[in-house]
Amino acid sequence: MIKVVNISKTFRTGGKEVKALNDVSFELEKGKIGALVGHNGAGKTTLLKILSTLIIPDTGDAYINGYSVTKQEKEVRRNIGIMMVSERAFYYRLSGFDNLVFFGIIQGLSVSEAKSVAKEVLDLVGLSEWKDVQYMKYSTGMQRKLALARALILDPPVILLDEPTLGMDVVSSRDFRSLIKVISREKTILLTSHNMKEVEDLADKIFVLKRGNLIAEGTKEDILAKLGKVKLVSVRDVPKGFDKYVVGYNNGTFFLRVPETENISGDVIREELPTLEDVFVYLMGEEIDSIRNKSRRGGWRRWGE
Amino acid sequence: MGRVIDKLYAYIYLRGFKIWSSYRTQMVLNVLSWVLPVFTYYFVGTSLGDKLVGEIGVPNYTAFIVIGLAFQGYVSSTITTISQRLRNEQLYGTIEYYVLSSGGVLSFLFYSAIWGFVINTVNAAVTLSIGLALKVHYDVNLLSTLIIIFLLLLSTIGFAMLSAGFTMMVKQGNPIAFFFSTFTTLMSGTVFPVTILPTPVKDVSLAIPLTWALNGLRLSMLSGEGVMQLANIIGVLILFNVILLPLGIGFYSYSFKRGRKKGTLSEY
Repeated sequence: MIKVVNISKTFRTGGKEVKALNDVSFELEKGKIGALVGHNGAGKTTLLKILSTLIIPDTGDAYINGYSVTKQEKEVRRNIGIMMVSERAFYYRLSGFDNLVFFGIIQGLSVSEAKSVAKEVLDLVGLSEWKDVQYMKYSTGMQRKLALARALILDPPVILLDEPTLGMDVVSSRDFRSLIKVISREKTILLTSHNMKEVEDLADKIFVLKRGNLIAEGTKEDILAKLGKVKLVSVRDVPKGFDKYVVGYNNGTFFLRVPETENISGDVIREELPTLEDVFVYLMGEEIDSIRNKSRRGGWRRWGE
Repeated sequence: MGRVIDKLYAYIYLRGFKIWSSYRTQMVLNVLSWVLPVFTYYFVGTSLGDKLVGEIGVPNYTAFIVIGLAFQGYVSSTITTISQRLRNEQLYGTIEYYVLSSGGVLSFLFYSAIWGFVINTVNAAVTLSIGLALKVHYDVNLLSTLIIIFLLLLSTIGFAMLSAGFTMMVKQGNPIAFFFSTFTTLMSGTVFPVTILPTPVKDVSLAIPLTWALNGLRLSMLSGEGVMQLANIIGVLILFNVILLPLGIGFYSYSFKRGRKKGTLSEY
Protein backbone atom coordinates (compact mmCIF):
# COMPACT_ATOMS: atom_id res chain seq x y z
CA MET A 1 0.00 0.00 0.00
CA ILE A 2 1.01 3.64 -0.46
CA LYS A 3 0.60 6.29 2.18
CA VAL A 4 1.56 9.91 1.63
CA VAL A 5 1.70 12.18 4.66
CA ASN A 6 2.01 15.96 4.38
CA ILE A 7 4.52 15.92 1.55
CA SER A 8 5.80 19.30 0.41
CA LYS A 9 8.50 20.08 -2.08
CA THR A 10 9.80 23.38 -3.38
CA PHE A 11 12.34 23.73 -6.17
CA ARG A 12 14.62 26.71 -6.40
CA THR A 13 16.03 27.55 -9.81
CA GLY A 14 17.63 30.78 -10.96
CA GLY A 15 16.41 32.66 -7.93
CA LYS A 16 12.81 31.58 -8.43
CA GLU A 17 10.89 29.25 -6.14
CA VAL A 18 8.41 26.77 -7.49
CA LYS A 19 6.20 24.99 -5.01
CA ALA A 20 5.82 21.61 -6.69
CA LEU A 21 3.88 19.94 -3.87
CA ASN A 22 2.08 21.52 -0.97
CA ASP A 23 1.16 19.40 2.02
CA VAL A 24 -0.17 16.45 0.01
CA SER A 25 -1.61 13.48 1.86
CA PHE A 26 -3.50 10.42 0.66
CA GLU A 27 -3.62 6.67 0.89
CA LEU A 28 -3.92 3.96 -1.69
CA GLU A 29 -4.88 0.57 -0.37
CA LYS A 30 -3.13 -2.63 -1.21
CA GLY A 31 -4.13 -4.19 -4.50
CA LYS A 32 -5.73 -1.05 -5.90
CA ILE A 33 -4.88 1.09 -8.91
CA GLY A 34 -4.61 4.79 -8.21
CA ALA A 35 -4.37 7.55 -10.81
CA LEU A 36 -2.70 10.89 -10.24
CA VAL A 37 -4.14 13.47 -12.61
CA GLY A 38 -3.51 17.16 -13.02
CA HIS A 39 -2.35 19.81 -15.46
CA ASN A 40 1.25 19.95 -16.70
CA GLY A 41 3.44 21.01 -13.81
CA ALA A 42 0.89 20.01 -11.17
CA GLY A 43 3.43 17.87 -9.30
CA LYS A 44 2.51 14.38 -10.46
CA THR A 45 5.96 13.26 -11.57
CA THR A 46 7.58 14.97 -8.59
CA LEU A 47 5.34 12.98 -6.27
CA LEU A 48 6.11 9.74 -8.08
CA LYS A 49 9.81 10.42 -7.79
CA ILE A 50 9.48 11.15 -4.09
CA LEU A 51 7.70 7.84 -3.63
CA SER A 52 10.52 6.08 -5.45
CA THR A 53 13.19 7.93 -3.35
CA LEU A 54 14.61 9.75 -6.36
CA ILE A 55 13.67 13.10 -4.87
CA ILE A 56 13.87 13.97 -1.18
CA PRO A 57 10.82 15.86 0.09
CA ASP A 58 11.28 19.07 2.06
CA THR A 59 8.73 18.06 4.65
CA GLY A 60 6.47 15.12 5.26
CA ASP A 61 6.99 11.48 4.51
CA ALA A 62 5.54 8.66 2.49
CA TYR A 63 5.32 4.95 3.11
CA ILE A 64 5.57 2.14 0.64
CA ASN A 65 4.29 -1.05 2.27
CA GLY A 66 5.12 0.51 5.62
CA TYR A 67 8.66 1.61 4.72
CA SER A 68 9.49 5.29 4.95
CA VAL A 69 10.84 6.90 1.77
CA THR A 70 12.99 9.28 3.82
CA LYS A 71 14.39 6.85 6.40
CA GLN A 72 14.21 3.39 4.81
CA GLU A 73 15.22 4.07 1.23
CA LYS A 74 16.78 0.67 0.58
CA GLU A 75 13.65 -1.19 1.71
CA VAL A 76 11.44 1.12 -0.35
CA ARG A 77 13.55 0.50 -3.46
CA ARG A 78 13.21 -3.25 -2.99
CA ASN A 79 9.44 -2.88 -2.86
CA ILE A 80 8.85 -0.78 -5.94
CA GLY A 81 9.14 -1.00 -9.67
CA ILE A 82 9.01 2.24 -11.60
CA MET A 83 8.28 3.06 -15.20
CA MET A 84 9.29 6.58 -16.02
CA VAL A 85 8.01 8.69 -18.84
CA SER A 86 11.25 8.95 -20.79
CA GLU A 87 11.70 6.61 -23.74
CA ARG A 88 15.41 7.16 -23.38
CA ALA A 89 16.12 5.07 -20.33
CA PHE A 90 17.58 2.02 -22.04
CA TYR A 91 20.75 1.18 -23.88
CA TYR A 92 19.93 1.59 -27.52
CA ARG A 93 22.58 -0.80 -28.78
CA LEU A 94 21.59 -3.67 -26.52
CA SER A 95 18.68 -5.97 -27.24
CA GLY A 96 15.54 -5.85 -25.14
CA PHE A 97 16.65 -9.06 -23.45
CA ASP A 98 20.15 -7.79 -22.66
CA ASN A 99 18.72 -4.55 -21.31
CA LEU A 100 16.46 -6.41 -18.91
CA VAL A 101 19.25 -8.78 -17.86
CA PHE A 102 21.48 -5.79 -17.14
CA PHE A 103 18.91 -3.99 -15.05
CA GLY A 104 17.97 -7.22 -13.31
CA ILE A 105 21.57 -7.79 -12.26
CA ILE A 106 22.12 -4.27 -10.97
CA GLN A 107 18.95 -4.67 -8.95
CA GLY A 108 20.48 -7.66 -7.22
CA LEU A 109 19.66 -10.74 -9.30
CA SER A 110 22.28 -13.24 -10.36
CA VAL A 111 23.00 -13.63 -14.08
CA SER A 112 20.95 -16.82 -14.35
CA GLU A 113 18.05 -15.34 -12.33
CA ALA A 114 18.09 -12.19 -14.43
CA LYS A 115 18.03 -14.17 -17.67
CA SER A 116 15.19 -16.34 -16.46
CA VAL A 117 13.11 -13.41 -15.19
CA ALA A 118 13.84 -11.39 -18.33
CA LYS A 119 12.37 -14.18 -20.47
CA GLU A 120 9.30 -14.36 -18.23
CA VAL A 121 8.53 -10.66 -18.20
CA LEU A 122 9.20 -10.31 -21.93
CA ASP A 123 6.67 -13.06 -22.46
CA LEU A 124 4.20 -11.35 -20.12
CA VAL A 125 4.39 -8.04 -21.98
CA GLY A 126 4.32 -9.71 -25.39
CA LEU A 127 7.88 -8.96 -26.51
CA SER A 128 9.32 -12.49 -26.69
CA GLU A 129 9.64 -12.35 -30.45
CA TRP A 130 11.66 -9.16 -30.29
CA LYS A 131 13.84 -10.03 -27.34
CA ASP A 132 17.04 -10.20 -29.40
CA VAL A 133 16.32 -7.07 -31.40
CA GLN A 134 18.24 -3.93 -30.47
CA TYR A 135 16.22 -1.47 -28.42
CA MET A 136 16.80 1.28 -30.97
CA LYS A 137 14.63 -0.66 -33.42
CA TYR A 138 11.64 -0.86 -31.09
CA SER A 139 8.47 1.09 -31.78
CA THR A 140 7.10 3.45 -29.12
CA GLY A 141 4.64 0.83 -27.94
CA MET A 142 7.36 -1.77 -27.64
CA GLN A 143 9.58 0.65 -25.74
CA ARG A 144 6.82 1.30 -23.23
CA LYS A 145 6.25 -2.42 -22.83
CA LEU A 146 9.93 -2.97 -22.17
CA ALA A 147 9.85 -0.20 -19.59
CA LEU A 148 6.96 -1.94 -17.89
CA ALA A 149 8.85 -5.23 -18.07
CA ARG A 150 11.77 -3.61 -16.26
CA ALA A 151 9.44 -2.38 -13.53
CA LEU A 152 8.32 -5.98 -13.02
CA ILE A 153 11.74 -7.61 -12.82
CA LEU A 154 11.82 -7.94 -9.05
CA ASP A 155 8.10 -8.70 -8.89
CA PRO A 156 7.63 -5.75 -6.54
CA PRO A 157 4.38 -5.29 -4.63
CA VAL A 158 4.12 -1.63 -5.65
CA ILE A 159 4.41 -0.32 -9.20
CA LEU A 160 4.71 3.35 -10.14
CA LEU A 161 3.88 4.25 -13.74
CA ASP A 162 4.51 7.72 -15.12
CA GLU A 163 2.30 8.33 -18.16
CA PRO A 164 2.42 4.68 -19.19
CA THR A 165 0.72 5.07 -22.58
CA LEU A 166 2.29 8.36 -23.61
CA GLY A 167 2.87 8.43 -27.35
CA MET A 168 1.09 5.15 -28.03
CA ASP A 169 -1.60 4.66 -30.65
CA VAL A 170 -5.14 3.80 -29.67
CA VAL A 171 -4.85 0.05 -30.13
CA SER A 172 -1.50 -0.17 -28.36
CA SER A 173 -2.86 1.94 -25.49
CA ARG A 174 -5.80 -0.37 -25.11
CA ASP A 175 -3.56 -3.44 -25.12
CA PHE A 176 -1.29 -1.80 -22.60
CA ARG A 177 -4.19 -1.03 -20.31
CA SER A 178 -5.22 -4.67 -20.46
CA LEU A 179 -1.69 -5.59 -19.49
CA ILE A 180 -1.80 -3.26 -16.51
CA LYS A 181 -5.04 -4.86 -15.40
CA VAL A 182 -3.43 -8.29 -15.61
CA ILE A 183 -0.43 -7.33 -13.48
CA SER A 184 -2.51 -5.37 -11.00
CA ARG A 185 -4.15 -8.43 -9.53
CA GLU A 186 -1.83 -8.62 -6.55
CA LYS A 187 -0.06 -5.32 -6.79
CA THR A 188 -0.65 -1.74 -5.79
CA ILE A 189 -0.27 0.52 -8.78
CA LEU A 190 -0.07 4.29 -8.87
CA LEU A 191 0.01 5.87 -12.28
CA THR A 192 -0.01 9.38 -13.66
CA SER A 193 -1.97 10.17 -16.75
CA HIS A 194 -3.42 12.88 -18.93
CA ASN A 195 -5.63 10.35 -20.65
CA MET A 196 -9.02 10.40 -18.96
CA LYS A 197 -10.15 7.31 -20.84
CA GLU A 198 -7.20 5.47 -19.36
CA VAL A 199 -7.99 6.78 -15.89
CA GLU A 200 -11.61 5.82 -16.27
CA ASP A 201 -10.64 2.36 -17.44
CA LEU A 202 -8.08 1.55 -14.83
CA ALA A 203 -8.31 3.56 -11.67
CA ASP A 204 -9.96 2.39 -8.49
CA LYS A 205 -9.07 5.73 -6.95
CA ILE A 206 -8.29 9.11 -8.49
CA PHE A 207 -6.17 11.88 -6.98
CA VAL A 208 -6.42 15.30 -8.57
CA LEU A 209 -3.45 17.63 -8.23
CA LYS A 210 -3.53 21.31 -9.06
CA ARG A 211 -0.48 23.50 -8.57
CA GLY A 212 0.93 21.04 -6.07
CA ASN A 213 -2.25 20.77 -4.03
CA LEU A 214 -4.47 17.72 -3.76
CA ILE A 215 -7.86 19.21 -4.60
CA ALA A 216 -9.94 16.07 -4.98
CA GLU A 217 -9.70 12.36 -4.37
CA GLY A 218 -12.01 9.43 -4.54
CA THR A 219 -13.45 6.80 -6.80
CA LYS A 220 -14.56 7.67 -10.30
CA GLU A 221 -18.11 8.11 -9.02
CA ASP A 222 -16.94 10.43 -6.24
CA ILE A 223 -15.08 12.59 -8.75
CA LEU A 224 -17.95 12.66 -11.23
CA ALA A 225 -20.35 13.65 -8.46
CA LYS A 226 -18.45 16.93 -8.09
CA LEU A 227 -20.06 18.21 -11.24
CA GLY A 228 -23.66 17.15 -11.47
CA LYS A 229 -24.60 17.34 -15.13
CA VAL A 230 -23.09 19.13 -18.12
CA LYS A 231 -24.95 20.92 -20.87
CA LEU A 232 -23.83 21.05 -24.48
CA VAL A 233 -24.27 24.70 -25.49
CA SER A 234 -23.76 26.55 -28.76
CA VAL A 235 -22.74 30.24 -28.80
CA ARG A 236 -21.49 32.75 -31.34
CA ASP A 237 -19.02 34.32 -28.91
CA VAL A 238 -17.33 32.53 -26.07
CA PRO A 239 -17.70 34.53 -22.86
CA LYS A 240 -14.61 35.32 -20.82
CA GLY A 241 -13.63 32.46 -18.58
CA PHE A 242 -15.40 29.81 -20.67
CA ASP A 243 -12.61 29.05 -23.14
CA LYS A 244 -11.77 25.88 -21.36
CA TYR A 245 -15.21 24.41 -22.07
CA VAL A 246 -14.97 24.76 -25.85
CA VAL A 247 -15.08 21.35 -27.52
CA GLY A 248 -15.87 22.25 -31.12
CA TYR A 249 -16.33 24.96 -33.74
CA ASN A 250 -18.31 25.00 -36.92
CA ASN A 251 -19.17 27.84 -39.26
CA GLY A 252 -18.97 30.64 -36.73
CA THR A 253 -20.56 28.68 -33.89
CA PHE A 254 -18.70 27.43 -30.80
CA PHE A 255 -19.82 24.34 -28.92
CA LEU A 256 -19.15 24.13 -25.21
CA ARG A 257 -19.63 21.47 -22.53
CA VAL A 258 -20.49 23.56 -19.50
CA PRO A 259 -21.28 22.41 -15.97
CA GLU A 260 -24.94 22.94 -15.18
CA THR A 261 -23.96 25.21 -12.31
CA GLU A 262 -22.33 27.74 -14.67
CA ASN A 263 -24.44 30.52 -16.15
CA ILE A 264 -23.99 30.99 -19.88
CA SER A 265 -26.27 32.47 -22.54
CA GLY A 266 -26.57 30.20 -25.53
CA ASP A 267 -28.61 27.45 -27.07
CA VAL A 268 -28.63 24.36 -24.90
CA ILE A 269 -28.50 21.40 -27.22
CA ARG A 270 -28.73 18.75 -24.57
CA GLU A 271 -27.82 17.84 -21.01
CA GLU A 272 -25.90 14.76 -20.11
CA LEU A 273 -23.85 13.13 -17.40
CA PRO A 274 -20.30 14.40 -17.17
CA THR A 275 -17.21 12.49 -18.15
CA LEU A 276 -13.99 12.54 -16.16
CA GLU A 277 -12.62 14.95 -18.72
CA ASP A 278 -15.45 17.38 -17.97
CA VAL A 279 -14.68 17.20 -14.26
CA PHE A 280 -10.98 17.61 -14.91
CA VAL A 281 -11.51 20.72 -17.00
CA TYR A 282 -13.84 22.15 -14.36
CA LEU A 283 -11.44 21.45 -11.51
CA MET A 284 -8.38 22.72 -13.35
CA GLY A 285 -10.23 25.92 -14.12
CA GLU A 286 -7.89 28.87 -14.41
CA GLU A 287 -4.90 26.59 -15.10
CA ILE A 288 -6.34 25.72 -18.47
CA ASP A 289 -7.28 29.35 -19.11
CA SER A 290 -3.74 30.32 -18.24
CA ILE A 291 -2.29 27.77 -20.67
CA ARG A 292 -4.58 28.89 -23.46
CA ASN A 293 -3.84 32.58 -22.81
CA LYS A 294 -0.10 31.92 -22.93
CA SER A 295 -0.60 30.03 -26.19
CA ARG A 296 -2.54 32.97 -27.64
CA ARG A 297 0.17 35.44 -26.60
CA GLY A 298 2.60 33.18 -28.40
CA GLY A 299 0.62 33.72 -31.59
CA TRP A 300 -1.53 30.60 -31.55
CA ARG A 301 -5.10 31.12 -32.60
CA ARG A 302 -8.16 30.13 -30.73
CA TRP A 303 -10.58 28.03 -32.70
CA GLY A 304 -12.37 30.16 -35.20
CA GLU A 305 -10.00 33.11 -35.02
CA MET B 1 31.69 -13.18 -4.49
CA GLY B 2 29.02 -14.55 -6.80
CA ARG B 3 27.23 -11.20 -6.80
CA VAL B 4 30.49 -9.45 -7.73
CA ILE B 5 30.90 -11.76 -10.72
CA ASP B 6 27.30 -11.13 -11.73
CA LYS B 7 27.86 -7.37 -11.57
CA LEU B 8 31.09 -7.73 -13.56
CA TYR B 9 29.11 -9.60 -16.23
CA ALA B 10 26.60 -6.77 -16.32
CA TYR B 11 29.00 -3.82 -16.28
CA ILE B 12 31.97 -5.25 -18.15
CA TYR B 13 30.31 -7.52 -20.71
CA LEU B 14 26.84 -6.08 -21.30
CA ARG B 15 27.22 -2.37 -20.53
CA GLY B 16 30.90 -2.25 -21.49
CA PHE B 17 32.08 -4.67 -24.15
CA LYS B 18 28.84 -5.35 -26.01
CA ILE B 19 28.05 -1.67 -26.50
CA TRP B 20 31.66 -0.69 -27.17
CA SER B 21 32.09 -3.40 -29.80
CA SER B 22 28.83 -2.46 -31.53
CA TYR B 23 30.57 0.71 -32.66
CA ARG B 24 33.11 -1.08 -34.86
CA THR B 25 34.79 1.99 -36.31
CA GLN B 26 35.26 3.48 -32.87
CA MET B 27 36.75 0.22 -31.69
CA VAL B 28 39.36 0.33 -34.42
CA LEU B 29 40.14 3.96 -33.69
CA ASN B 30 40.55 3.15 -30.00
CA VAL B 31 43.12 0.49 -30.78
CA LEU B 32 44.96 2.83 -33.14
CA SER B 33 45.00 5.52 -30.44
CA TRP B 34 46.83 3.06 -28.18
CA VAL B 35 49.39 2.06 -30.74
CA LEU B 36 50.32 5.22 -32.59
CA PRO B 37 51.61 7.33 -29.67
CA VAL B 38 54.18 4.68 -28.80
CA PHE B 39 55.73 4.97 -32.26
CA THR B 40 55.44 8.74 -32.22
CA TYR B 41 57.48 9.07 -29.06
CA TYR B 42 59.82 6.26 -30.09
CA PHE B 43 60.85 8.25 -33.14
CA VAL B 44 61.07 11.43 -31.06
CA GLY B 45 63.53 9.68 -28.77
CA THR B 46 65.43 8.13 -31.63
CA SER B 47 65.79 11.41 -33.44
CA LEU B 48 66.96 13.20 -30.29
CA GLY B 49 69.62 10.57 -29.74
CA ASP B 50 70.76 8.73 -26.61
CA LYS B 51 73.21 11.46 -25.53
CA LEU B 52 70.63 14.22 -25.40
CA VAL B 53 68.09 11.97 -23.73
CA GLY B 54 70.73 10.81 -21.27
CA GLU B 55 71.36 14.41 -20.21
CA ILE B 56 67.87 14.57 -18.75
CA GLY B 57 68.42 11.42 -16.77
CA VAL B 58 66.75 8.89 -19.07
CA PRO B 59 69.12 6.10 -20.11
CA ASN B 60 66.63 4.43 -22.44
CA TYR B 61 63.93 6.71 -23.80
CA THR B 62 61.88 3.96 -25.44
CA ALA B 63 61.62 2.07 -22.16
CA PHE B 64 60.77 5.33 -20.40
CA ILE B 65 57.85 6.21 -22.65
CA VAL B 66 56.53 2.68 -22.94
CA ILE B 67 55.99 2.50 -19.19
CA GLY B 68 54.59 6.04 -19.19
CA LEU B 69 52.10 5.46 -21.99
CA ALA B 70 51.09 2.01 -20.76
CA PHE B 71 49.99 3.26 -17.36
CA GLN B 72 49.03 6.89 -17.90
CA GLY B 73 45.85 5.67 -19.58
CA TYR B 74 44.68 4.13 -16.33
CA VAL B 75 44.39 7.58 -14.88
CA SER B 76 43.49 10.03 -17.60
CA SER B 77 41.10 7.93 -19.62
CA THR B 78 39.52 6.21 -16.61
CA ILE B 79 38.71 9.52 -14.95
CA THR B 80 37.32 11.00 -18.14
CA THR B 81 35.58 7.72 -18.97
CA ILE B 82 33.75 7.69 -15.65
CA SER B 83 32.83 11.33 -15.90
CA GLN B 84 31.67 10.76 -19.46
CA ARG B 85 29.88 7.55 -18.46
CA LEU B 86 27.94 9.43 -15.79
CA ARG B 87 27.01 12.13 -18.26
CA ASN B 88 25.99 9.48 -20.78
CA GLU B 89 23.73 7.86 -18.23
CA GLN B 90 22.11 11.24 -17.66
CA LEU B 91 21.67 11.62 -21.42
CA TYR B 92 20.40 8.06 -21.75
CA GLY B 93 17.99 8.60 -18.87
CA THR B 94 19.31 5.58 -16.99
CA ILE B 95 21.01 7.36 -14.08
CA GLU B 96 17.92 7.16 -11.90
CA TYR B 97 17.85 3.39 -12.26
CA TYR B 98 21.35 3.24 -10.89
CA VAL B 99 20.25 5.25 -7.88
CA LEU B 100 17.46 2.71 -7.39
CA SER B 101 19.70 -0.31 -7.87
CA SER B 102 20.77 -2.53 -5.01
CA GLY B 103 24.36 -1.28 -5.10
CA GLY B 104 23.43 2.37 -5.54
CA VAL B 105 25.62 4.99 -7.12
CA LEU B 106 28.86 3.83 -5.51
CA SER B 107 28.42 0.46 -7.16
CA PHE B 108 27.81 2.24 -10.48
CA LEU B 109 31.05 4.16 -10.16
CA PHE B 110 33.09 1.23 -8.93
CA TYR B 111 32.07 -1.11 -11.72
CA SER B 112 32.31 1.65 -14.34
CA ALA B 113 35.87 2.19 -13.15
CA ILE B 114 36.55 -1.51 -13.60
CA TRP B 115 35.44 -1.25 -17.21
CA GLY B 116 37.87 1.63 -17.64
CA PHE B 117 40.61 -0.49 -16.06
CA VAL B 118 39.84 -3.45 -18.30
CA ILE B 119 40.09 -1.35 -21.43
CA ASN B 120 43.29 0.25 -20.21
CA THR B 121 44.77 -3.10 -19.26
CA VAL B 122 44.37 -4.10 -22.89
CA ASN B 123 45.97 -0.78 -23.81
CA ALA B 124 48.82 -1.41 -21.37
CA ALA B 125 49.37 -4.92 -22.69
CA VAL B 126 49.47 -3.69 -26.28
CA THR B 127 51.85 -0.88 -25.36
CA LEU B 128 54.19 -3.10 -23.36
CA SER B 129 54.19 -5.64 -26.20
CA ILE B 130 55.18 -2.94 -28.66
CA GLY B 131 57.92 -2.04 -26.21
CA LEU B 132 59.10 -5.61 -26.27
CA ALA B 133 59.17 -5.50 -30.07
CA LEU B 134 61.16 -2.28 -29.86
CA LYS B 135 63.73 -4.14 -27.76
CA VAL B 136 62.85 -2.76 -24.35
CA HIS B 137 64.39 -4.98 -21.72
CA TYR B 138 61.96 -5.69 -18.86
CA ASP B 139 63.21 -6.77 -15.45
CA VAL B 140 59.96 -7.08 -13.53
CA ASN B 141 59.50 -7.48 -9.81
CA LEU B 142 55.93 -8.72 -9.87
CA LEU B 143 54.99 -7.97 -6.25
CA SER B 144 56.12 -4.36 -6.15
CA THR B 145 54.69 -3.79 -9.64
CA LEU B 146 51.28 -5.15 -8.65
CA ILE B 147 51.27 -3.16 -5.40
CA ILE B 148 52.03 0.08 -7.20
CA ILE B 149 49.43 -0.61 -9.90
CA PHE B 150 46.84 -1.42 -7.23
CA LEU B 151 47.57 1.79 -5.31
CA LEU B 152 47.47 3.78 -8.55
CA LEU B 153 44.07 2.32 -9.40
CA LEU B 154 42.73 3.17 -5.94
CA SER B 155 43.87 6.77 -6.23
CA THR B 156 42.29 6.88 -9.69
CA ILE B 157 38.99 5.81 -8.19
CA GLY B 158 39.32 8.61 -5.65
CA PHE B 159 39.84 11.21 -8.37
CA ALA B 160 37.14 9.60 -10.50
CA MET B 161 34.64 10.04 -7.68
CA LEU B 162 35.58 13.69 -7.31
CA SER B 163 35.26 14.12 -11.07
CA ALA B 164 31.93 12.31 -11.21
CA GLY B 165 30.66 14.41 -8.34
CA PHE B 166 31.46 17.55 -10.32
CA THR B 167 29.67 16.14 -13.36
CA MET B 168 26.64 15.42 -11.21
CA MET B 169 26.57 18.99 -9.95
CA VAL B 170 27.62 21.10 -12.91
CA LYS B 171 26.60 18.71 -15.75
CA GLN B 172 29.17 20.14 -18.17
CA GLY B 173 32.53 21.75 -17.51
CA ASN B 174 34.26 19.38 -15.15
CA PRO B 175 37.63 20.83 -14.03
CA ILE B 176 38.98 17.53 -12.73
CA ALA B 177 38.28 15.59 -15.90
CA PHE B 178 39.67 18.55 -17.88
CA PHE B 179 42.87 18.57 -15.85
CA PHE B 180 43.45 14.85 -16.15
CA SER B 181 42.63 14.65 -19.82
CA THR B 182 44.78 17.65 -20.69
CA PHE B 183 47.67 17.92 -18.26
CA THR B 184 48.68 14.44 -17.15
CA THR B 185 50.86 13.84 -20.20
CA LEU B 186 52.60 17.16 -19.50
CA MET B 187 52.95 16.93 -15.74
CA SER B 188 53.14 13.35 -14.59
CA GLY B 189 56.36 12.17 -16.17
CA THR B 190 54.63 10.19 -18.90
CA VAL B 191 56.91 11.14 -21.79
CA PHE B 192 59.67 13.08 -20.06
CA PRO B 193 60.93 13.19 -16.48
CA VAL B 194 59.35 15.81 -14.22
CA THR B 195 62.82 16.90 -13.13
CA ILE B 196 63.08 19.09 -16.21
CA LEU B 197 59.89 20.99 -15.42
CA PRO B 198 60.11 24.49 -13.90
CA THR B 199 59.98 24.30 -10.11
CA PRO B 200 56.40 25.49 -9.53
CA VAL B 201 55.10 23.08 -12.16
CA LYS B 202 57.25 20.28 -10.80
CA ASP B 203 55.74 20.84 -7.37
CA VAL B 204 52.26 20.41 -8.85
CA SER B 205 53.36 17.25 -10.63
CA LEU B 206 54.49 15.79 -7.31
CA ALA B 207 50.95 16.24 -6.04
CA ILE B 208 49.71 13.80 -8.69
CA PRO B 209 49.79 10.11 -7.69
CA LEU B 210 50.55 9.11 -11.27
CA THR B 211 53.92 10.88 -11.14
CA TRP B 212 55.00 8.71 -8.21
CA ALA B 213 53.44 5.58 -9.65
CA LEU B 214 55.22 5.93 -13.00
CA ASN B 215 58.50 6.50 -11.24
CA GLY B 216 57.90 3.40 -9.15
CA LEU B 217 56.78 1.29 -12.10
CA ARG B 218 59.88 2.18 -14.10
CA LEU B 219 62.00 0.98 -11.21
CA SER B 220 59.94 -2.17 -10.56
CA MET B 221 59.53 -3.16 -14.22
CA LEU B 222 62.83 -2.09 -15.73
CA SER B 223 65.23 -2.54 -12.79
CA GLY B 224 63.41 -5.24 -10.80
CA GLU B 225 63.32 -3.18 -7.61
CA GLY B 226 61.34 -4.72 -4.76
CA VAL B 227 58.92 -3.51 -2.11
CA MET B 228 61.58 -2.46 0.40
CA GLN B 229 63.52 -0.49 -2.18
CA LEU B 230 60.36 1.27 -3.28
CA ALA B 231 58.97 1.75 0.23
CA ASN B 232 59.03 5.55 0.01
CA ILE B 233 57.06 5.59 -3.24
CA ILE B 234 54.60 3.03 -1.94
CA GLY B 235 54.22 5.05 1.24
CA VAL B 236 53.42 8.22 -0.69
CA LEU B 237 50.82 6.38 -2.77
CA ILE B 238 49.19 5.00 0.38
CA LEU B 239 49.05 8.52 1.77
CA PHE B 240 47.35 9.77 -1.40
CA ASN B 241 44.73 7.05 -1.07
CA VAL B 242 44.11 7.77 2.60
CA ILE B 243 43.19 11.31 1.58
CA LEU B 244 41.58 10.78 -1.80
CA LEU B 245 39.31 7.83 -1.17
CA PRO B 246 37.27 9.22 1.74
CA LEU B 247 37.21 12.64 0.08
CA GLY B 248 36.03 11.10 -3.18
CA ILE B 249 33.37 8.91 -1.57
CA GLY B 250 32.11 11.82 0.52
CA PHE B 251 31.92 14.29 -2.35
CA TYR B 252 30.40 11.78 -4.76
CA SER B 253 27.71 10.74 -2.28
CA TYR B 254 27.03 14.37 -1.42
CA SER B 255 26.59 15.28 -5.10
CA PHE B 256 23.92 12.60 -5.56
CA LYS B 257 22.13 13.56 -2.38
CA ARG B 258 22.15 17.15 -3.57
CA GLY B 259 20.75 15.99 -6.91
CA ARG B 260 17.94 14.18 -5.12
CA LYS B 261 17.15 17.22 -2.97
CA LYS B 262 17.09 19.53 -5.97
CA GLY B 263 15.33 17.00 -8.24
CA THR B 264 18.11 17.29 -10.82
CA LEU B 265 19.40 13.70 -10.99
CA SER B 266 18.44 13.13 -14.59
CA GLU B 267 19.19 16.65 -15.84
CA TYR B 268 22.11 17.11 -18.19
